[in-house]
Amino acid sequence: MLTEKQVKEILKDHCLNLRFHARGGQGGVTASNLCVESFDGYGVCQPKFGAERMGSPTESYVRLSANYDLVRSNEQVYVPHFVSVLDDSLLSEVDVTAGMPDGGWLIVNTTMNQNEVGMTIANKNLNIATIDATNIAMEVLGRNITNTVILGALIRVSHLFTIDQLADAIMTRFKGEIAGKNVKAIKRAFEETCLYENPGGVEIDFKTDTKVPWQQVSLSLPGYKELDPAGVWYCDNKIMRVGSDQVNTGSWGEWNIVWDEEKCTDCAQCWFICPDFAIITEKGEDGKFHMKGINTFFCKSCQNCIEICPVNAIHKEPKQGPGSCAVPEA
Amino acid sequence: MSIEPMKLFFKEIKKPIKTAMIGNYAVAGGITQTDPDVICAFPITPQTQSVEGLSDVVYQGRLKAAFVNVESELAAMSYATAACASGARTFTATASQGYLLMAEALPMAVGWRLPLTMMISARAFNAPNLSIWNSWEYVLIDFGWNCIVSENVQETYDAAILSVMISEDSLFPTMFVHDGFIISHSVQQLTLIPDETVRKLTPKKMRPTIDPEYPGTWGGIVTPDFFTEGRLGLDVAKKPVLGIIDDAFKRFKDATGREYNTIETYNLENSSKTAFITMGSMCGNIISWMTKNKDVGLIKIRTYRPFPYDELQQIVQENDIEKLIILEKSDSLNNLLPPFAMSTATALYPLGTLFRCFIVGLGGRDVTRDELDIAKKKMKHVMDMKGQLYTYLGARESANKLHEVEL
Ligand code: SF4
Ligand code: SF4
Repeated sequence: MLTEKQVKEILKDHCLNLRFHARGGQGGVTASNLCVESFDGYGVCQPKFGAERMGSPTESYVRLSANYDLVRSNEQVYVPHFVSVLDDSLLSEVDVTAGMPDGGWLIVNTTMNQNEVGMTIANKNLNIATIDATNIAMEVLGRNITNTVILGALIRVSHLFTIDQLADAIMTRFKGEIAGKNVKAIKRAFEETCLYENPGGVEIDFKTDTKVPWQQVSLSLPGYKELDPAGVWYCDNKIMRVGSDQVNTGSWGEWNIVWDEEKCTDCAQCWFICPDFAIITEKGEDGKFHMKGINTFFCKSCQNCIEICPVNAIHKEPKQGPGSCAVPEA
Repeated sequence: MSIEPMKLFFKEIKKPIKTAMIGNYAVAGGITQTDPDVICAFPITPQTQSVEGLSDVVYQGRLKAAFVNVESELAAMSYATAACASGARTFTATASQGYLLMAEALPMAVGWRLPLTMMISARAFNAPNLSIWNSWEYVLIDFGWNCIVSENVQETYDAAILSVMISEDSLFPTMFVHDGFIISHSVQQLTLIPDETVRKLTPKKMRPTIDPEYPGTWGGIVTPDFFTEGRLGLDVAKKPVLGIIDDAFKRFKDATGREYNTIETYNLENSSKTAFITMGSMCGNIISWMTKNKDVGLIKIRTYRPFPYDELQQIVQENDIEKLIILEKSDSLNNLLPPFAMSTATALYPLGTLFRCFIVGLGGRDVTRDELDIAKKKMKHVMDMKGQLYTYLGARESANKLHEVEL
């Protein structure tokens, strides 16, 4: 692990980049904002631009340096040296190590140990830190909000700023009592972080530009000659992979939605209200459509169908396993 | 809400404060400090937080302004124009399709010489597909508004205050622009100006307004006997505006220490006598890239309208610039060049400087070292002004094949 002194030296004429993976509603963007506010030097933070929806996988980025000209770029972060994952259900869904150089640190909020995390990671030259931020958040904050807590682990492995600097930033941003509790949680996370350095002792390679040339252009997608000349998405057109049927909205939700065939009267109200076409229907012998169940790939457990069903044929059950109940209810 | 983004503006700012915020909230803060009387806007991505932030300070009682909700951008611009004509210091904000919807009402503030101020979070127009991300839509229609473009959050915060100064000194409406999402939604560090300093920079002055004691018809119909004189009068009145903007920059610098110029230059005494010319957030990308590419320079246009033709000519001449690489985030399906490049080309015409325009960053596509490297390389081979003068850079022709770039 780099020492505080080495990190200071690197920052003089390089940028150190961070990336946060979270789900919409978990506050990944706030975590990255706090990094900029805590850092003694120049820093910028960008969310992944677009609409952030509850439970959907989100990313945000931070660039820090002592050299103003280097952070002046508004380019996105392609080479993150420190990646923090707020929700371990993302490990199987998103390539959390994308672009990470050798020696980079992957920080995961999880109850898994390093071997279990390591199995999901291809690059064996990365370092891994784990922290049970959810548990700390529940105990100290009384709510499952891990975005500030994980920063305690980040400080431990990165030395980019101190707990005191972060505490100052939190005090200016948050209201009184909440601020104090967050600082307490961060201190605990700093202590309880488990570190697993890679066996070869590879330190962060901050010099090599590992950005894939033209990756911002997504080269493998079709070009203008192959796309519809009017930009139309035809329903049977598989050239332009866009639209909500491409999105695993099922991973966003915190509930399993259960349908009771016995009670269902086939009124189709749930089908009309479902925002993600998650209600499966089938044409029966009578020539009419009948409800057949719920598509878990699309169902984001918004619970609209539960509310509208006139005969209570749909109910919810908590999801089991890692990453369940990911997003705290507002 | 446990986080209050506008908290710093809830009370008097007594001394400069170093902080970090997104571009839109920074603008809301800057506008708060200029003490507007009327705020009237319709929300549209990526402009939203600017108006939302203002609603927050009005709700907190910190800002005694009329916060007016309307049903559309056309209504917002019409209401804001009328409010400004009645003497109120007025602010509005929009982007993309909202700007288009305003179009009918946009010329009025110019014609009536109203110091209206508007923020634009630049976003693409919707064709052939909808995009909420950044392009330069604002360059495509021009009714005579002044236009200041910002590179980063500090600049857009300062531009909020500067635009009020420029509007009221020139008696022409001013829009200030930052790139949507890239600046509007990025958290960057900035230093806030004390309220007292802003008050001194933006005193509320007497100007001609709608006045019940002195009734008249604003915008009444005229016969061909009068219309041309009205337009000529506006044209003559527009001539001193660049000077007024320079003066506002100078007073701003004296008060805050931050220096701005209509055109800002970097590393023009480079070996290849080549410079990029562009505006907005891309300038930051180029400056970072230039730390490793010292053989090119950068001309950054901060005042886009009125376009500083004379000053640009002077800079190109004095620095012996032979080639200009124009980067533009908009295109033109009909013209020889897209609008920003067209203005630049017009300025270069008497000088015969070689240039090419590269269309990049449309609909939110990132502009990286790849685009800058290729543009520089392509420019090396440009020896004349023959052929097509623009090209799309970083666009796919077909899968795994870039348009006019060898991989
Ligand atoms: S909860 Fe019901 S309405 Fe909501 S996505 Fe799932 S099936 Fe559709
Ligand atoms: S709303 Fe209820 S009863 Fe109607 S089709 Fe859906 S599940 Fe069946």
